[in-house]
Amino acid sequence: MRSYFSDIPKTALQASYWLFVIYLLLPLALMMAISFKDANFVAFPIDKWTLKWYAQVLQDRQFLEACLYSIFIALMTTLFATIVGVWIALLISTEGMIARSVIFALACLPAVVPGLINAISMRIFIRVLDIPTGTGAIILGHTVHAVPFVVIMVLTRLRSMPNNLVDAARDLGADSFVAFMRVTLPYLAPALAGGMVFCVLTSIDDFVRTFFLGGYQTTLPMLIFAKVQGGMSPEINAMATLVLIVTAAIGLYAEHLTRRSRTR
Amino acid sequence: MQPVVHFRNVNKYYGSSLAVDNLDLAIEPGQFVTLLGPSGCGKSTTLRMLGGFEMPTSGEIFLDGQEISQLPPNKRNVNIVFQDYALFPHLNVRRNVAFGLELKGMASDAIHKRTMELLSLVKLTDFAERMPGQLSGGQRQRVALMRALAPNPNVLLLDEPLSALDAKLRQQMQIELKSIQKTTGKTFIFVTHDQEEALTMSDVVVVMNAGRIEQMGDPHTLYAKPRSRFVANFIGETNFIEGKLKAVDGGLAAIEWNGSVVHANLNGHGPAVGSTVAAALRPEAITVISEKPANTIAVSGQITQRIFKGDHTSLTVSLANGQSLVAQLDPVALSRVTGDDVWLTWRESDAVVLAD
Repeated sequence: MRSYFSDIPKTALQASYWLFVIYLLLPLALMMAISFKDANFVAFPIDKWTLKWYAQVLQDRQFLEACLYSIFIALMTTLFATIVGVWIALLISTEGMIARSVIFALACLPAVVPGLINAISMRIFIRVLDIPTGTGAIILGHTVHAVPFVVIMVLTRLRSMPNNLVDAARDLGADSFVAFMRVTLPYLAPALAGGMVFCVLTSIDDFVRTFFLGGYQTTLPMLIFAKVQGGMSPEINAMATLVLIVTAAIGLYAEHLTRRSRTR
Repeated sequence: MQPVVHFRNVNKYYGSSLAVDNLDLAIEPGQFVTLLGPSGCGKSTTLRMLGGFEMPTSGEIFLDGQEISQLPPNKRNVNIVFQDYALFPHLNVRRNVAFGLELKGMASDAIHKRTMELLSLVKLTDFAERMPGQLSGGQRQRVALMRALAPNPNVLLLDEPLSALDAKLRQQMQIELKSIQKTTGKTFIFVTHDQEEALTMSDVVVVMNAGRIEQMGDPHTLYAKPRSRFVANFIGETNFIEGKLKAVDGGLAAIEWNGSVVHANLNGHGPAVGSTVAAALRPEAITVISEKPANTIAVSGQITQRIFKGDHTSLTVSLANGQSLVAQLDPVALSRVTGDDVWLTWRESDAVVLAD
């Protein structure tokens, strides 16, 4: 282990870290606490505790439909972004491919372009092409944003892949397609899993693009936004808490999966 | 007998640089053949052209009489053991070995039987369910070997497969490889830059340099009768004797070497009398004596260096004619010490005239 700032007392460094953790977790903790409050307004102190907000949320058709819609969009986004992302990563890592750095830069651009700019330009784009707003447009917008994460994760994994694995497969009788399916793809599996979870999470989380490209049906963030505009209530806290727990669980599980296959 | 592998006038260019220069090479079936040479001599390119990973710029390659030079790797009945084994990290040992058999569409119980047979050949049946990452270097080496042998190729190619192993393990694997080659009766084509490895295992050694074959022959011939300065230098230790060819008598050359006249075996070369020639003389062919011998040619000198090397002692002797020779003695030849005046002599046939 290296040690930085070794002449500052260790306790000072540790204290600053814990300060950051409190800053990170306290708002989330407050949000969760209020979701158990037996009153109609969002404020402290909490006199009586209840689970009724959760019962209400889980029976709320609007909420459940928005959840399903968001998940559907996330899965479609993941499907398309994975295919496109893997394809681009393979192109970039192909030997003798011209303008590799240009392809890479272009593929990664959507990750750094501000969401708002991206959303407006997509809106104009679908207008020009006469594509209606709604599910298809949202998936298009989310896919563009998700592709860079797949590209970067797959590319990183490809770089660590020994060159002659594919040669060995070819040598043992595989044509290039079979070699890809039986050797390259399994090798990429951890990166794919990580990239796909990332796609799902960014898509479910996305508000700006959905706002500009969406139709009448609301996704989860849009529903929560609409409810907040109608006034804060512990019901929103309960929704947010549920979303937080589910997404955190998915994220941690994916991290656990990729870590395990990485150490193998 | 029809050669199992035949390169005919094969050239390989990378851009404008010539990697393999008009290669003509025929390999008999069932032999252990080693392509030996320094890095960049074209040995690996030759192997990769046979495996199908490089296409020759011109010329033809035949496998069992069939022209294969433009076929992709999966259409050739040869398999290769890669330098760093290239085991599939996501498959266990058994599935790695079975990979080629599965692609052949063999029935699964037949695959299992053959895989287990092969693994028992290298005593790895207990490791069948392990992942490659859980194996030692030597075990990976054996798995890679069995994976390549599994589809029953006509020819097995080995691309410096032992270079990643430590010295002890490498020696053990050399013996094992040789015995596997004997039991399977297959043609092995082995690429290495390690001359000792080549001499240990091979039936035939092909010494390559700058994309050309320098000499091809059994290890003993290469060692005892090198054709060129390159071969003499690359394989073992050698003294070079250079001088003007004074006379030729039968198979013997008389060379004027800085004033002394020494004899050497012409070895089939026909240099013109009066031209400058070089001969190679192995250190262990030299006899060191104290007195001038009566009836053979000998040169006199003084021992300037004496190095104990365990199984032998190496003496550097500065000769009266200004040259020096390295001689090898038994380790127990303790009586010779630095500063002694000695006479060196050798059998005329042990000095070999070189082509260049």
